[in-house]
Amino acid sequence: MAAVAKVGIISCSGEELPAGTISRLATRRVLESLRPQSTVTLCLPLFLAGEEQERRFARQHPTITVDGCDKLCAKRGTETYSGQVACSLNLAEILGERLTGCHRSQRDSGKADEQAVWMAAERIAAEVDELLAAAPPPTLVSLEASTVGCACSRPSAEGALQVDGKTVVINGLPLIFDRLHRKGVEPGNGCADQLLETVRIYHAIEPGEEGAYREALVASYQEFCGRRASDEATPA
Amino acid sequence: MQDAAHTNQVLLIPCSGIGKVHGLISREAVYKATDILGPDQADTVCLALLVTGDPQTRQKVQEQSCITLDGCPKLCAQKNVELSGGKVGQAVRVYDTLKRHRGGKFGSPTALTEEGWGVVDEIAAEVAQTVRAAATR
Repeated sequence: MAAVAKVGIISCSGEELPAGTISRLATRRVLESLRPQSTVTLCLPLFLAGEEQERRFARQHPTITVDGCDKLCAKRGTETYSGQVACSLNLAEILGERLTGCHRSQRDSGKADEQAVWMAAERIAAEVDELLAAAPPPTLVSLEASTVGCACSRPSAEGALQVDGKTVVINGLPLIFDRLHRKGVEPGNGCADQLLETVRIYHAIEPGEEGAYREALVASYQEFCGRRASDEATPA
Repeated sequence: MQDAAHTNQVLLIPCSGIGKVHGLISREAVYKATDILGPDQADTVCLALLVTGDPQTRQKVQEQSCITLDGCPKLCAQKNVELSGGKVGQAVRVYDTLKRHRGGKFGSPTALTEEGWGVVDEIAAEVAQTVRAAATR
């Protein structure tokens, strides 16, 4: 598979401050609209609450941290638990007085918030472009290798499932399978309940559809595990 | 030193989830609950400050009751509070609440639908009730 360049963006969580909300929204705007093909993210607290795969994030991706205040939690947290950051942005410096009219709850969000998000997002996107221009593609991680455990690390992968003859798209299905596989969950009817309950968190399943979903998920997971076994048996 | 006025204040700590609507619901529920309860009864702290080991924030979570609101099964808020020596009095899991609204369209990681705001209000009311019940014991 060809290498796909991805820049990591870690936003401060900043739940106490409007700037935290602006940093998250700006990060999402870059991920969803401005540079969707070349950026990934991860929740900052996952460095502690997650596993080694999450902690490898900044070593796998040239990473931009986006902080809302001078405490620079995103930068410090990333460098302490993951790796050196390639670029650190502090929205308190970039936006200055513009932040005074912003809100932490989106219930109260207005024009000032929207303008701040746009300015911050444009700045992040410009830094992404600079990093991509500076980094030779072979040093960047491939899309396949970047599948860390958290669903936040990239645009959600979708998985198609045949349920009762209908194609149903389940957001994040490959990630769910990957996680269960890594946890050592064996394919077969024994994992049906676990599959169903996990998928149900992200995808609505009506009570009358449970049987069909159960059957489809078991078959699809079996196929996924078979492919994994085959990949693992193939020399690099 | 702990401010005496804050000894009965409960810390409501949401996850920092940025990838799904669940994280946004957890944060907005915290903002709503703190509005309902007022600053004497509730406050919040940045989860990232716990991740970076900020001494004041660690002291706060160690000395005050905490309620965590997590969006996904990774339970970042609960785990980080516990790793910081805090005691989680109640661990709210947004995805459990969403199970009561199967088939609902709650919004995206950046914007909530009316139904999403309804879930926010529901969780906030439950949290506020828990805090008030604890205060009267």
